[in-house]
Amino acid sequence: MFDFLIAGIQAPIFLLVLTGMTVGMVGGFIGVGGGYMVTPALIVFGFPGYMASGIDMTHIAGKSVVATVRHRQLGNIDWVLGLAMVGGTMFGVEQGVRILTYTKKLGLSGIILLTASVVIMIGLFVYTQLETQKSTKKISELEKDGKKVGRELSVSKGPRIFQSISLFPIVRCRTARIVVSMWVIVLVGIITGVLSGFLGVGGGFVRVPALVYIVGASTHIAVGTDLLEIAVSGGYGALRHSMMGNVDMVAVLFMIVGAMFGAQFGSIATSFVRGPAIRYILSYSLILATVGAFLRLFYMLTGSKHEILSFLAVVFTLGEMFFLCFFILSLVIFSLRYQKGKPVPAWIPPLVVVK
Amino acid sequence: MKWFINTMIGYWVLLLAISLGIAAAIYEIWLRDALF
Repeated sequence: MFDFLIAGIQAPIFLLVLTGMTVGMVGGFIGVGGGYMVTPALIVFGFPGYMASGIDMTHIAGKSVVATVRHRQLGNIDWVLGLAMVGGTMFGVEQGVRILTYTKKLGLSGIILLTASVVIMIGLFVYTQLETQKSTKKISELEKDGKKVGRELSVSKGPRIFQSISLFPIVRCRTARIVVSMWVIVLVGIITGVLSGFLGVGGGFVRVPALVYIVGASTHIAVGTDLLEIAVSGGYGALRHSMMGNVDMVAVLFMIVGAMFGAQFGSIATSFVRGPAIRYILSYSLILATVGAFLRLFYMLTGSKHEILSFLAVVFTLGEMFFLCFFILSLVIFSLRYQKGKPVPAWIPPLVVVK
Repeated sequence: MKWFINTMIGYWVLLLAISLGIAAAIYEIWLRDALF
């Protein structure tokens, strides 16, 4: 146990390092900040809510920089796409916060927030699952016919529709290999920004699917570019939280130690898999986060008294992080085995890159 | 046992069970006393 003097609590160091590492790995792989996993975990460890949020945001900023640097080396960042979206995102976040304040005035924010989060997460989960299953099936069919398939395949019709909008100015995103109206990118930034400001999350779990299914970027580019966005917005958030005294820097340092390794591994792991594998992990993350949120809410609604509910909420909060890490780790191991010609389960070949 | 490895849903269930088991152990060892 370590005494965190600023937060005024005692917590095991290794749990903080482990949380940083696991969320870093997941974030580096699917391109999210992971706030929806870290904040509840920190509250479980005993940190007060406001401090959990501040520590989370500060650690996300540091971790995203590490992951962004690694994704840049892997060629997964499209700077034009990222910079065009930043403006829209900032504007959207501001509007999202205003909508939240308005619903608070009406006394509805709690119900609306929960309903919006659940509807969006379940909707994204269902669409991503269905699309990814179709993509994986198509990859299998193409490979069976002896055709070579690259690391990305998406069957979504969204990009074709949005890329056909010829509203000036048209931008050429060289790394992402897409030509699209800048207004589409800005609009995606605004919409995801509104959701992010309204729901109080980083927005990565909405932005990555939006970049893939609306803008038409490959999943790898969406992940790298989104991490760039998170590094910018997380940096600003960390600064604001620090100014308000919501950050225990010692706790952040322990988390960053774990996150440095996790974020690097998660980022490098993307080079072993195809786009659909990343989208699968993203969809799993969405559904597990939804179930976890339900359990925590149920625990709070019953007055935080029943130990069994606390047990389920804590176990699910930590369990979902471990599950996602094990899945990412398994994909890398299976990918290496497949490349060496060793036997792998039948569902693995469409998901991994053949070098 | 083969079903857990050879199908994606089986592998999903297997990993989730292992993960929840580890999380339950952490709860029992380090967090239970802190929460109750």
